Amino acid sequence: MSVRWDAVVKYGAVGIRKDPPPPPLSAQDCRAAVIQVHVQLFGALAAASPERSIRFELPAGAVIADVLAALGERLGEAFSERVLDLTGAKHRHCRLFVDGYPVEQLRAPLDARSGPTQVEIILLIAPEGG
Amino acid sequence: MNVFDPQRFKLPPAEAGEDDVWVPSSCALCYGTCSILAHRVDGVVVKIEGNPESAVGKGRLCGKGVSGIMTHYDPNRLRYPLRRTNHKKGLHEDPGWKRIGWDEALGEITAVLRKVRADDPRKLVVQRTTTVTSSRVPLHAFATAFGTPNFSVSGGGQHCGNGAHLISGIMHASWSVVPDFEYCNYAIYFGASKGHAAGHASCSNMGKAADARVRGMKMVVVDPLCNFAAAKATEWVPLRVGTDAALALGMCNVMVNELGIYDGPYLQAKTNAPYLIGPDQLYVRDTQSHAPLVWDLRTRSARPYTDVAAADMALEGRFTVNGTPCFPAFHRLREHLQKFTPEWAEKISSVSAATIRRLAREFATEARIGSTIVVEGVTLPYRPVAAIAFRGAQGHRNSVYNFLAVDLLNHLVGAADVVGSCLGFNPTCQGHPDTGKVRYIPSAGPDGLMVTGSWMGYHYPYQPQEPRLPQNLGLQDLFVIGMTSPFLDSTDREDMWKKFEVPYRPEVMVNFGANLVMSIANRDAVAASLEKYKFIVSFDLFLNETSNFADIVLPDCDYLQSFDSRSNFPFIFSLPGGLGEWCWPIKQPALPPDGEQRPHADVLLEIADRVGFGADLNAAYNAWLDLQPPYRLAGGTRYTYEQICDAELQNNFGSQHGLDWFKQHGLIKWKKKPEEVYWRPFVDVRVPIYWEFLRPIGDKIAAIAEPRGCKIPPEYYQPLPDFLPCRSHCCDKPGFDFYGFYYRDIVHTNSFTMENPWLDEVARLDPFSYTIAINAGEARKRKFADGQPVWVESETGRRVRGRLKFTEGIHPEGLGFAAMCGHWSDGMPVAKGKGVFYNDLLELDWEHVSPTNINLDLCVKVRVMPAESVS
Repeated sequence: MSVRWDAVVKYGAVGIRKDPPPPPLSAQDCRAAVIQVHVQLFGALAAASPERSIRFELPAGAVIADVLAALGERLGEAFSERVLDLTGAKHRHCRLFVDGYPVEQLRAPLDARSGPTQVEIILLIAPEGG
Repeated sequence: MNVFDPQRFKLPPAEAGEDDVWVPSSCALCYGTCSILAHRVDGVVVKIEGNPESAVGKGRLCGKGVSGIMTHYDPNRLRYPLRRTNHKKGLHEDPGWKRIGWDEALGEITAVLRKVRADDPRKLVVQRTTTVTSSRVPLHAFATAFGTPNFSVSGGGQHCGNGAHLISGIMHASWSVVPDFEYCNYAIYFGASKGHAAGHASCSNMGKAADARVRGMKMVVVDPLCNFAAAKATEWVPLRVGTDAALALGMCNVMVNELGIYDGPYLQAKTNAPYLIGPDQLYVRDTQSHAPLVWDLRTRSARPYTDVAAADMALEGRFTVNGTPCFPAFHRLREHLQKFTPEWAEKISSVSAATIRRLAREFATEARIGSTIVVEGVTLPYRPVAAIAFRGAQGHRNSVYNFLAVDLLNHLVGAADVVGSCLGFNPTCQGHPDTGKVRYIPSAGPDGLMVTGSWMGYHYPYQPQEPRLPQNLGLQDLFVIGMTSPFLDSTDREDMWKKFEVPYRPEVMVNFGANLVMSIANRDAVAASLEKYKFIVSFDLFLNETSNFADIVLPDCDYLQSFDSRSNFPFIFSLPGGLGEWCWPIKQPALPPDGEQRPHADVLLEIADRVGFGADLNAAYNAWLDLQPPYRLAGGTRYTYEQICDAELQNNFGSQHGLDWFKQHGLIKWKKKPEEVYWRPFVDVRVPIYWEFLRPIGDKIAAIAEPRGCKIPPEYYQPLPDFLPCRSHCCDKPGFDFYGFYYRDIVHTNSFTMENPWLDEVARLDPFSYTIAINAGEARKRKFADGQPVWVESETGRRVRGRLKFTEGIHPEGLGFAAMCGHWSDGMPVAKGKGVFYNDLLELDWEHVSPTNINLDLCVKVRVMPAESVS
């Protein structure tokens, strides 16, 4: 039997499941007009920052990129350079957790709710050999 | 507070004869980390066997694994913390070790780390050995939490992985590649030993390879030495050291330009072969979407690759887009290959043109392009050929192109992650059926090219980061294609740091088991680097050549005395590829600590707590282990490593599968699906047969490096592979007529196992482990005698002494050394004085490093002289 590569998949009964949608960043009361954010910095980010526990508010509809922008404004360019690459994308080794769940997309929205949204940011070691 | 409680490890009191158990755990004699059963009788481990329940080894265990018992009970094991009393450090300095207590040791370490962390945490370098995979997460987490980016695995990467892992990652979404032993009919190995010696999934692969050979798989081994794989192969093809790219490119040329055999549909659907390339070597892009364009044969127009059916994409032809002439990448490749005639390749590699043509024809024909096969009810592409490479081919200055040229053989015939072909180790996993955790799938990144779904670190091979003025001591943030760096120890490190304005210097090192004085290059260079540190603390089992530079040495527990919750994860590292089972074993203690030994992971937790970054360490573990609610570690809580292991296991496999469950069962496993193993048709990603991104990276690196006096040779950053000579190939010094190289001895792991008496005995019985292999005919021509003591001298004047062993099984120009022998530390008396320390011949500077992936050049042009003729 000789068929094209792409045809194998078309005619096959199996496949790789798509990634499930990410869990909502918070699933509570969405009526608040502002989002309270509580950021905790760890490791190198904390060591380089005058404050490691930072609270601020963002308007409803804010996304993760807004959190990083607010932090950049507060902590300076050095912070942004550590977290974002030259194209403005988040460094892969910068891990960001919202309410304990990992978030990769800077466009991921924060839900407005009554309590603060917990954001943890940490820079991991990038290279590994062996 | 001292949370570590040695009582926890105490065995229940047992009357003689009552304690007789088999403890399921994991080996740590090499990074293969095979599953074991340790048989403990009356508190003594009397035997270690493979665990037949596990997919990792399937009950098989190599000679090193069964000998682990002798490493554990070695009377030279460290049992107490030591502090040096001689503050002068050097290769010939006696540290003057003095036994101290843990409180004193940790107090001193805490004071040093607290000071350097307050000053600049980047001044800490964390280093670990690759031998013990369970050290990876604790050491990474510690460095992350401390706040330093400076992490190294010593010789690992610089010797074996910077090319192999990079390209396996970009082309197969995996750390390494292996033939699909169940179905492969024709495997060609370039300087690799998968299934025949040590390394990733070694015991599993040995069984699979043996079965494949019995089934009739033809195996061709290209290697300067008729080595462990070659000895069992159908055919051994000796080639000149470091010329693998020339041979592979010659074969590619024959396949494409002489035989006209290639898998067009694969190239159209799964690679960037149809992407149009402009005169500037870059993609021609859509002005709106910026996506690379392809030529649509149906509409006869250039359109974004996302908008055209693969079957309609042109692979060849000259087209004009917006007035610019352009060609599909495959067209460019085909033209590029024309210069690599078999006759040209013969001159470079010494393999005859006729052999190159035959190998190319055999490989291309056996690929059965266009065929499919039904596996477990699933129809899949069938390409039963595989070309693989590893340390031998890629351990050179021309590392990237050597490996890429070999892998191109696979992609030309569509033999990539389909039945019978070259497989990555488990690039796609749909997760545990109950929890969905441990799930990863490659995805399409920029320009539709594949981003691996799983990786060992966060320095992903594609898309490379943007080069920048470096902040890391290893300069990997400038040389972004590289992984492990030589610049922590190179002779020109200070010059490089000055050139690139690195604003700090290393002052403190935390070392876990790495013997970097022996494992990188010549001892003088590394020793000079170590002498500069203000403080070194080293976790060790024995006092080795590197621990003699430490200020404090801490006695570690070994693998029979400690926990690890992820022995074989990431699966891309050492879980066997191919069909079978997903398998997640743990490591657990079969024995208590001896003396005052403590497991390093717990010590690191205590140090973090004392220094004041315990919350950071918990956050780092959360991130490294991907712990999610409710299993995340809380910031203010002090955990034991055992508790962290428990959290990871429950996080991944549910609350009913915590550490207590694993202690009993040893592992959890579930069946692999054909579409996970042979994932390539099912995942919409492409891989680059044309590395368009490489030249812009090179240009950006050059823009930073060249104004600072560091020339970046452009030929190393071209989009198509070439043969680039190593320094050794350019040496024309009279009398220097051999290429020195080392190979990994099957009975040893790095330099560590040389101390094991059983393995030492095997090595002494082996005629080659402790000698220098030389071609018998060439040796006789030079009037050498078998067994004769000689000096081997590099062109830069470095010398090692050893005894020759004549063999027909080595290339006439090759001189083979089993690495890494030649210990001189009194702390390893079994190993001391055995064999030859090859790395002492290696230079360690920018001139001997790949300008692309900063891999160290491991071949040296040498001359051989009778020992008695040299003073």
